[in-house]
Amino acid sequence: MTSTGAVKVEIRGLHKSFGKNEVLRGIDCDIHTGEVVCVIGPSGSGKSTFLRCINCLEEPSAGTVRVDGNLMDENAKNIDELREDVGMVFQHFNLFPHLSVMENLTIAPTLRKKMSEDEAKQVGMELLGRVGLADKADAKPNSLSGGQKQRVAIARALAMKPGLMLFDEPTSALDPEMVGEVLDVMRSLAKEGMTMVIVTHEMGFARQVSDRVLFIDQGVIAEEGTPAEVFDHPQNERTKSFLAKVLEA
Amino acid sequence: MDFFELLKESLPMLTQGLVLTLQLAFISLAFAMVIGIVASLMGMSKNPVLRAINRVFVAIIRGTPLLVQGFFIYFGITGLLGIRISAFAAGTIALSLNAGGYLSEIFRGGIQAVDPGQREAARSLGLSARQTTWRIIIPQAIRICIPSVVNQWCITIKDTSIISVIGLAELTKMGQTIIARTYRSFEVWIMVGIMYFIVIWLLTLLARFVEKKVSLDD
Repeated sequence: MTSTGAVKVEIRGLHKSFGKNEVLRGIDCDIHTGEVVCVIGPSGSGKSTFLRCINCLEEPSAGTVRVDGNLMDENAKNIDELREDVGMVFQHFNLFPHLSVMENLTIAPTLRKKMSEDEAKQVGMELLGRVGLADKADAKPNSLSGGQKQRVAIARALAMKPGLMLFDEPTSALDPEMVGEVLDVMRSLAKEGMTMVIVTHEMGFARQVSDRVLFIDQGVIAEEGTPAEVFDHPQNERTKSFLAKVLEA
Repeated sequence: MDFFELLKESLPMLTQGLVLTLQLAFISLAFAMVIGIVASLMGMSKNPVLRAINRVFVAIIRGTPLLVQGFFIYFGITGLLGIRISAFAAGTIALSLNAGGYLSEIFRGGIQAVDPGQREAARSLGLSARQTTWRIIIPQAIRICIPSVVNQWCITIKDTSIISVIGLAELTKMGQTIIARTYRSFEVWIMVGIMYFIVIWLLTLLARFVEKKVSLDD
């Protein structure tokens, strides 16, 4: 797949500081419809902050993020509507523990899209089937394994039929034997043409599914390109030393 | 007079006292829950004036003894304003404000103890701030709060005995009255203690049942 789709996300001059700590120091980037972008880089480099600025969980200190041309601004009247189209999957799942698995999937469609309970459940069952957890519809999140939780979290985000999915280190909190089941679901999403931005430490996965890899270091995009370019022929010294560290492990 | 004769003779008065204790406790706790909710919302408000009012209120409640609060309301305020209120009304006001102050801190703590990731997940799905608060945060905060709230209820039920000094014939006062007549301190205080104990014990059973019902596990 190449990045020939329309521009889905347009990021211009993005800066983000937490107090005196400047985490993002000027990021410009376009993400196209249907594109799968993996974001790699050392911890503390600003990868997650970059991702969280896309759906405005973090408000930029300067610069703009537009999704489908709409400015993502916490104080905008339509920010809730804009977020409906941007699904997010978190490192620690963040399932709603007081709701059943099915209720986790139906709460947003029924509250936001005014979908009927039955219709939302039908969509929910389809999605649970897709992530291989149809039998867990009535379970409480706390009874699931990490891998199962993350698959439910992906299904929950998909229930809103988003045009863009953000993944914030979705396998980092998982036991090693559960990483595969989550990556499989993400792989199939990518295959279907979902626009995805994935912050990950799974280099093999990034190489396999990405159309483009961004290497973020010290708050800027230090290098970007196809997986072959970034992984096999890194130009930047910092990319080289980062890859040398993570790939030898 | 053996123990059972004493019990038989004391029971009507003690029961009468217990009824007043329960009335005082339940009415006060009902008001206290409302005061606690309102005060905790003020404490978490964006408005600095509301936050300051909450902080001063909680500081006064925590910083002074219940007994002083009761005397202040029953004698102090009424004297200053030249009005008279019943001991029951004064006791209810004192206990409501006192428990309300502690409950407001419990509620605030419960809400702030909900994982911030819950709010982020809800907002990322498009839920509004209000929907997130009521559908995601509050239900979890309530579960977190239950043990501390029940604890406060137990404390307030027993604190009614402190309020008896302003002249309320509740359970403890009734015990004193009986002892003054019979000189049977040992047995009467055991009876009074058991009556408080049973009330608290029943409440604890109920709380445990509710906690199990709303548990986050299967």
